[in-house]
Amino acid sequence: MTSEPIERRVTYLGDRLRACRCQCCGKEYFEVRDYCSNCGRKSYGRMNSIDLFYDKGILELCTYINEPTNKFTRLASYVYGIVSFHGGKIRVPARLTDQLISEGTPLDLASLEGREVTPRFRRRYSVGKSDIIPTISLAFTLTDEYYPHQEYKISQPSKDYELPGIVGYGVYSSRFRIKEEGIERAVPFFDEDSVTAAIEAGKLALIHSSLDSALIGKVYAGSESNPYAVKPIAAKVAQVLKLGKEDGDVQAVDAVDTEFACKAASSMFKDACALVSYPKSGIDYAMVIGTDNSQAAPRGWPGGELDAFVGYGGAAFIFGKKDVIAEVEAWYSCTSDTPDFWRRDGEPYPMHGGRFTGDPAYHKHVRNSASKLMEQCNLKASDLNYFVPHQPNPSFPVRIAKELGFKEEQFMPAIQMTKFGNTYSGASLVGLAAILDIAKPDDRILVTSYGSGAGSDSYLLRTTKQLPDKRNRQKINVRFLAENPFAEYIDYTTYRRLKSGM
Amino acid sequence: MMQNRPAIVAVGRTKFGEHYGKEPEKLIEEAWLAASRDCNMERKNLEACYMSDCFLPITNKLGLEEGFLSELTELHVPMEVTRSFSAALLAACHAIQAGVYNTVLVGGIEKMTDRWDKIRDDLMLLDDPWSYFAGGTPESNHELMLRAYIKKHGITSKDQEQLEVALAQVAVKNHANGAKNKYAQFQRKITIDQVLNARRSAHKPLGLYDFAPISDGATALILTSETVANKMTTRPIFVLAIGAATDYLNYPAREDLTHFVAAELAVKKACQTAKLSATNLQLIEVNDQSTVMEMISLEDLGLVEPGSVWKNIYESSQTGQLSYELGGKPVYVNTNGGLKADGNPLGATGGAQFLEIYRQLRGEAEERQITIPNGLRHGAVLEFEGFGTKAYMTILGEKTQ
Repeated sequence: MTSEPIERRVTYLGDRLRACRCQCCGKEYFEVRDYCSNCGRKSYGRMNSIDLFYDKGILELCTYINEPTNKFTRLASYVYGIVSFHGGKIRVPARLTDQLISEGTPLDLASLEGREVTPRFRRRYSVGKSDIIPTISLAFTLTDEYYPHQEYKISQPSKDYELPGIVGYGVYSSRFRIKEEGIERAVPFFDEDSVTAAIEAGKLALIHSSLDSALIGKVYAGSESNPYAVKPIAAKVAQVLKLGKEDGDVQAVDAVDTEFACKAASSMFKDACALVSYPKSGIDYAMVIGTDNSQAAPRGWPGGELDAFVGYGGAAFIFGKKDVIAEVEAWYSCTSDTPDFWRRDGEPYPMHGGRFTGDPAYHKHVRNSASKLMEQCNLKASDLNYFVPHQPNPSFPVRIAKELGFKEEQFMPAIQMTKFGNTYSGASLVGLAAILDIAKPDDRILVTSYGSGAGSDSYLLRTTKQLPDKRNRQKINVRFLAENPFAEYIDYTTYRRLKSGM
Repeated sequence: MMQNRPAIVAVGRTKFGEHYGKEPEKLIEEAWLAASRDCNMERKNLEACYMSDCFLPITNKLGLEEGFLSELTELHVPMEVTRSFSAALLAACHAIQAGVYNTVLVGGIEKMTDRWDKIRDDLMLLDDPWSYFAGGTPESNHELMLRAYIKKHGITSKDQEQLEVALAQVAVKNHANGAKNKYAQFQRKITIDQVLNARRSAHKPLGLYDFAPISDGATALILTSETVANKMTTRPIFVLAIGAATDYLNYPAREDLTHFVAAELAVKKACQTAKLSATNLQLIEVNDQSTVMEMISLEDLGLVEPGSVWKNIYESSQTGQLSYELGGKPVYVNTNGGLKADGNPLGATGGAQFLEIYRQLRGEAEERQITIPNGLRHGAVLEFEGFGTKAYMTILGEKTQ
C-alpha cells in the first residue's frame, strides 16, 4: 500500500479493530457502518460504534501458511485463520503472531481451533525502507500462553491527592529471549518495534489505572529507536489508544515524542506532574511512555560491543492527582555535553564511547543527580526503601548504588536489565515498575535515570495506600513477564534475524 | 424460459498456459479469429463486443482495453469490458434479448504470468483485502473452507481420510480430462498419491495439485439472436438461462463458511428461468479454483445433501470413473479438465467452460465426448468472480428442448 489516504483509512479501522452494532437488531459488523444491512434505513444513525481492541476472541478455524504473499515472506511461516468475537457475531481474518515455526514441523491445527485469542497491535507487513510502516491489530496470540487477556474496566477516580503522582503503569516486553552469560534479553518478534511496545505499555497502563482514556490530555513517548526519523510514536499511541476525547477521527489530546538517549521518558515525569498540577492546563492526566527496540551493530563491528546488552520493551506511567499510587515528592536533574554514545542521522546503529561511558558519563551524572536530590530532601540512603538506577549493563547500577550507600535489598529488586536487556528509554522505568509491583504503602523510592549525551534525572516517590488496591487489576507485571513459562529462548542467529524486523 | 433466446454459433480459444512472447492483444486476436473461422463470419457483421478481463490494467498496465480491441479489429462498434466471461455473456444476452443487436462478439482475456512475481498478492488483495492485510494467501480461504466443512459435518478419522482422497480424486479426474484437451495447460494425468504427497510435503491440508494454476489465455464466442443463429448453423446452442448473485468480499464475515451463498442463489435463479431442476443436469462446468471449490459447488448446485458429496466423489476414486454418481445417475463435471488442468486465465476462464459445453452438446468434443442414455440435452456453467463473491450460473441447451 503506497497510497497515504488508503493507508490512513485501513490503519484507522484496523489498528483499533473498529466495529459497530445495530441498535435495532443487534447485528454487529467489523468496520464502521452508517446503517445495518438487516434493518436498512430505520437503522440510519442508530449504529453504535464499538471496538474489539480490549476484547478477546476465539480462533474458530485455522490453516498453516508457509508460502505467504510477498509482503509476509519475512515471517516465513505462520498460522492463519478466522477469529470470532461475541459468539460469532463478528468474524475477522487473523494471523497468529509470536510463533517461530521451524520448517517441516507438522502442526496440529485442530488443537489450536476453539482456543481463546487476544488481538495484538503489530506491524502489518513489510514495506520499502522509505514507506509508511503499516500496522494492524488483526494479529493475535493465544490467551493461555505468554500474554493473557486483561479486561479494561473503567472506574471513576475518587480520592484527591495534594501532590501529583503515578496513577497507573504498564510494562511490556516480548516473548522471545536470548540468554548469554547470565543475562537474559528480550527480543522483539518480526512484527514488533518501539511503536508496538509503546502501544502495549500504554494499553496495560490504562488497564491498570482503570482510567477512561478520554481523560488523558497529553502523551509523551520517549525513544531512541523510533523507526521513523520524522513521524511521532506518540501520535500512533494517541490514535490507537483513543487518548483524549474522540472528535470525529481526531483525538483531543496533545502528543509528542522526546529523545535524550535513555532518559527521554524519565525526563518527562516532571513535565507530566507540572502539567496535571497547573490549574489552567485543563489536563487531569498525562501519560509518559519509554519504549525502545535498542539497536546494536553485530558483534565485531564498530559499536558491536552493545550487542551483548540491548533489549526490547517499554513502560508507560500515567500521572495525575487522583487515586495516586505513588506521589512525586521531589526531583533533580543535571546535564552536560558528554559524547559517550550517539547515533548519526541515517545510521542504523549507534556508536559507543567505550571506557568513556563509565566514569565521566554514567557514574558522574547518576552520582550527581541522586546525591543532590537526597541532599535537597535531607535524606540518607538508609531513609529510603528502594533505589532504582538506570541499568545499561549488570555492573554500572550495582557500583553506583553501593557507592551512594544503598544495600543490595534496596536496589537489586530494581535491576531488571538482566531479564530484559537494556531497554534504553524503558530501562529505569521498568526498574521502577518492578519496585511498584512489590512496594508497600508509604515506601520511599529514589529513581535515577541516565541518558547519554549526557544527563540524569532523579525523582523521589512515596507510595500510597492505593498501591496494593490496584494490583489485582494487573496480571501482566514485571515479574510475570520475567518469569513467564511461555518465554521462548532463541540463538544468536535467530536473535539477529528477529532484530532486523519485518 | 428466456424470451428471444440468444444462441452461441461459434467458439474459439487459445491454448492456456504461459505465453511469454505474446501481448494480450495477440491472444484475444487468436481466440476471435478461431471463433470467426468456426462460423465463417466477417468482422463487419459484429454489432458490438463484450469483453472480460479481471485485472489486465494491473498485470499489463492496460487501461481502456476496448481501444486495443478496436485497433485490432478495425471496428468502431460499442464495446464493453466486464470482469468475468459470464458477466460479459450476461450483458450480451440482455442486449440481444432486448433486440438491440443481432450479432455480437463475447471474449475473455487474461495475462497473469507477465506478473508472476506479484500475482498472488494481487489476487488476494483484490479478492479479499482484509484477509490479505491479516496475512491470508489466495490458497488460505480454500483451506479454511475445508476446515469449516470438516468441523460442521463432524468428519473424523476414517471419513476424513476418505474426504482427503475424494478431494485428490477431483484433481486426478480433472487432469485425466485435461490430458484429452489439446488447449489445456496441463495435458498429463496425475495420481491420487501425487496429490496426497504434495499436501504431506507442504504440511498443509491442501497442496500443489489442489489448486488451479495461474495462466495466460483468451477465449471468444459469437452470440446471435435466434433468427440469425438459424441462418448461420444447423445446431446453434441456446442460452436458456443465466442466474447471477453477489456476496460479501470478506470471506470470514460471511454467514455460512461451508457454502457459497452467491452460487446457491445463482443456481436457483437459473433453474427457475430454464424451468428445470439442477438434478436434471449431467454435464456441468464448475469453477474449481481448488478441489474444495469443486466439491462445495456440487453441493451448492443442490445435487446432493450438504456434507455428503465427498462420499460420492470417493466412490468414483475407487472405480476410476471420470464422472460422479449423484442422485442415481452419472454427472460429468469439468470434462475440459477444469480450471485445475485446463488453466485459469480469470477473464477467459468462463469462455473455455462455455466452449466445452458447446462442443459437448454438439457432439464435437472428440476424445472427451460424453454420452448419456437419453441423449445430452443440457449443460451448465457455474463461474465465480473472486472467492465466491460473485457467481453466475448459465444453462445451455439445444433448440429442440
